[in-house]
Amino acid sequence: MSDRAIRTIAVAGGGIVGQSAAVAFARALPDTRVTVVETKLDPAALADVLPTTWPGVAHFHAAIGIDEGELVRAGIATHHLGTMFEGWSASGLEWVHSFGDYGKPIGAIPFDHLWWRAHGAGDALPYDHYSVGAALARARKFVHPAADARSLGSRYQYGLRLDPPAYLERLRKQAAASGVASIASDIAEIELRNGFIAALLLDDGSRVEADLFIDCTGPSARLISLVDGSFEDWSLWLPFDRLQLSEQRSDTVPSTADRAFATDEGWTIEWPLRDRTIQGELRVGGSGIALARGRRLRPWVGNVLALGDAAIALDPLHGMNIDLAQRAIMLALELLPTREFDPVETGEYNRRFDLVTRRVRDFIALHYLRSGRTNGVWADLAAREPPDSLARTLDQYEYRARLPFHEEESVTRDSWTASLMGLGVLPIHGDPQAAGIPLDKITNAMRNLAAEIEQSVAGVPNYADYLKRIGR
Amino acid sequence: MTAAALVNQLGHACEVRLIESEEIGIVGVGEATLPHIRFFVEALGIDEADFMKATHATFKLGIAFHDFGRIGTHYLHPFGSFGASLNNVPFHHYWLRLHAAGRGGEIWDTSICNVMTDECRFEPPADGGALYNYAYQFDATLFGPYLRNYSVARGAVRTEGKVVEVELDSESAKVAALKLESGERIEGDLFVDCSGFRALLIGQTLKEEWEDWSHWLPCDRAVAMPCVPKGEGIEPYTRAHAMSAGWRWRIPLQHRVGNGYVYSSAHTSDDEAAEALRAAVEGAPMADPRVLKFRAGRRKRSWSRNVVSIGLASGFLEPLESTSIYLVQGAIAQLIEMFPIGRIRDDDVAEFNRAVDVEYDRIRDFLILHYHATTRDDSSFWDHVRTMDVPDSLHEKIRLWQRSARVEKYSQGLFFEPSWIAVYLGQGIIPEGWDQRVNGPSLDQLDAALDRLRRQLAERVAAMPSHRDFLSSRNASIGGPP
Repeated sequence: MSDRAIRTIAVAGGGIVGQSAAVAFARALPDTRVTVVETKLDPAALADVLPTTWPGVAHFHAAIGIDEGELVRAGIATHHLGTMFEGWSASGLEWVHSFGDYGKPIGAIPFDHLWWRAHGAGDALPYDHYSVGAALARARKFVHPAADARSLGSRYQYGLRLDPPAYLERLRKQAAASGVASIASDIAEIELRNGFIAALLLDDGSRVEADLFIDCTGPSARLISLVDGSFEDWSLWLPFDRLQLSEQRSDTVPSTADRAFATDEGWTIEWPLRDRTIQGELRVGGSGIALARGRRLRPWVGNVLALGDAAIALDPLHGMNIDLAQRAIMLALELLPTREFDPVETGEYNRRFDLVTRRVRDFIALHYLRSGRTNGVWADLAAREPPDSLARTLDQYEYRARLPFHEEESVTRDSWTASLMGLGVLPIHGDPQAAGIPLDKITNAMRNLAAEIEQSVAGVPNYADYLKRIGR
Repeated sequence: MTAAALVNQLGHACEVRLIESEEIGIVGVGEATLPHIRFFVEALGIDEADFMKATHATFKLGIAFHDFGRIGTHYLHPFGSFGASLNNVPFHHYWLRLHAAGRGGEIWDTSICNVMTDECRFEPPADGGALYNYAYQFDATLFGPYLRNYSVARGAVRTEGKVVEVELDSESAKVAALKLESGERIEGDLFVDCSGFRALLIGQTLKEEWEDWSHWLPCDRAVAMPCVPKGEGIEPYTRAHAMSAGWRWRIPLQHRVGNGYVYSSAHTSDDEAAEALRAAVEGAPMADPRVLKFRAGRRKRSWSRNVVSIGLASGFLEPLESTSIYLVQGAIAQLIEMFPIGRIRDDDVAEFNRAVDVEYDRIRDFLILHYHATTRDDSSFWDHVRTMDVPDSLHEKIRLWQRSARVEKYSQGLFFEPSWIAVYLGQGIIPEGWDQRVNGPSLDQLDAALDRLRRQLAERVAAMPSHRDFLSSRNASIGGPP
């Protein structure tokens, strides 16, 4: 085996994705030498420039030895409980997509079935009022989830917002400490041999050989596009193709919710950091960063693995760009092939990553194809035929409140129902099993839960107090 | 099973009628199950001890395969994992690294199920099943009536009688009613075909096409014969012994042992098979050998129009991995999930059929592996299965394993990583590589960790009661005759 193992890895691209990959590979594979080629950053590589992560960031940071508390105290990270959506639904009602549970099931009956019945009887608050995470986000508060799984305070999760330049610096430090070598230079030429990459020839005259090349060059995908050109275009379902980023200084304590508000022209997202807020405006056409939307059919081909925007390009709704990159890194480690890179090995990676990305695409596309907006750029979106897997989800949900199971799906039932309910996509029929539960049992349980959540949130200090307590 | 689950979960939404005839026997020859059956029994609110006593059931920790990869070898497919993951890397990668260096011993005793079955000990997992799980071996001829009583007590209307005619609606071509020998006519919105191989509705009436898999799974008959158990202990597992034209099961119940030889009629005769079975069973026969005929495959559509076929009416896979009852249970769960609302929608039917197909296809691949991964060349049967073409989906799974010890991942359905590992390794497919992340610690460190693990498992099992003692005290705990 030892002669089959990957011994050297070259990472092309020194942004957040490239550095994350370098640290993760170097730490997991102690007998492998990792070199990062820090090429010029591409502003269209969203996974390298956006601040938002999902709760999986905790798992990833644990794997690369970065401590959350340290990031928060250094002012690099703030806590992120979810996103407030404004102007998306026909009713005009805003909602919070939070990470964690919405309501409590009764037996094996999911909460959304119960809520639907109570809602039909006119006896329900908006769906997100039954989520502790959403309630905390609305109140702009934060506290770490409780460890006791029985307590209400354990039923939410959080991601981090990471100040991109500062976070990149921190990753660089971690890379150096993990034995990663780095070269600041652009790539002049790429040497191919038998469909594999043999070496990168750099502007500074050096030549970097490796067993495995990781392409983190952003949407230009400079490495993988040389060995495989296949790209699946998703622009029909993800219509927003221009992103305008801006920053505003801020002296106030950041909210624990991001904010995404829609207008006839498009939508705008706000990510509050410690000292400033980054704002992204999404439009169809016009000026700004041009966004690719789609994925490489084969992000791993031979000895080239594409990560981040080189593998999958999404707009920033829900901020899943870094999350996908981190998942891809962990999956690549889980399935790391032998040095021969048998297509059956890389094929398993491609199969599984494909399953993850499709459903992320579906989840984002849901917000466009089923928004309640009918004017401006939104006018024709509802009439577009969704991708097959989303069409199945919509058919099953809109008729009978069912969400079909998908292998490898990273978007939870709670996330789906939060957005479906928030957008005002309600089923025609409830689940037949849920009909067996007496209505007053459901409404009583919901009233109690709402009261419990209110009380629980009232007892949580403001985010400012939280930050003060941990030394910020 | 279907009636029981329907009255329990959808009793408020539909009326359930159960039509069965005492004159028509059931295949049930003693049934080995998989751990999923526990959830089924539990969801019905049935008391495990009561149910086990009524069906003479025993506990089952896995299936022991003898002589499959090579004559003289055996391994257990355990209902539990091997070792434990470390640093996100599954245990077997560590073991493979040691094994390649000629160290690390056998992998088998790193699964607690193996230690328990070796010593015939049993106790239910205290941790809810994280380390190991269990299933039952019971008398299927008693399980049916047990569930019938359950269903009738909860509102199912049972009618004894034979169906003599199936009436189709002239417009919709759906099944409108069943006519019984007594003259009674029973209407329904939805008909569930649990008529077994006869497939009265889905096959005989609707003529839904059958996809034949006998080129991959050539066994098409079984001869069954229970016998008196020999010896004191009761094995908490099912045995499968490879034979010259198939394999033989041994299922220990509380009061008897179920035996049967599953064979390919192209490679041996009924008489030869019965003779081989007689020669192999351990105790006095409790009945004459009985021959059953079947063929491997499934309906292209298990649900068609207003007929849902469940069990053998929908498909058949030989009992090598005790999957029959699971397939029934899985189809019932899907039926409840896709239960028609208002009308039968094509989209819902497609969802059901898709889910059932996935289950069948995966089990099919797993079963074929048991035949194909072999070096046996001692009979025309083994020559055939060893050299036959296998489905592409299985071929890729095997290659993925051979390269670097990865198991194709899925999380819904049957047979996850430990099951595949057991059969791959048990039948001699040793991967060339493994996860590079295990190369950190030294071999001595890994060896020491493995020793610790084995000691812990041995100590834990030594404190468990014997399987027989555990069953006796369970039976005694609910009173009545032992």
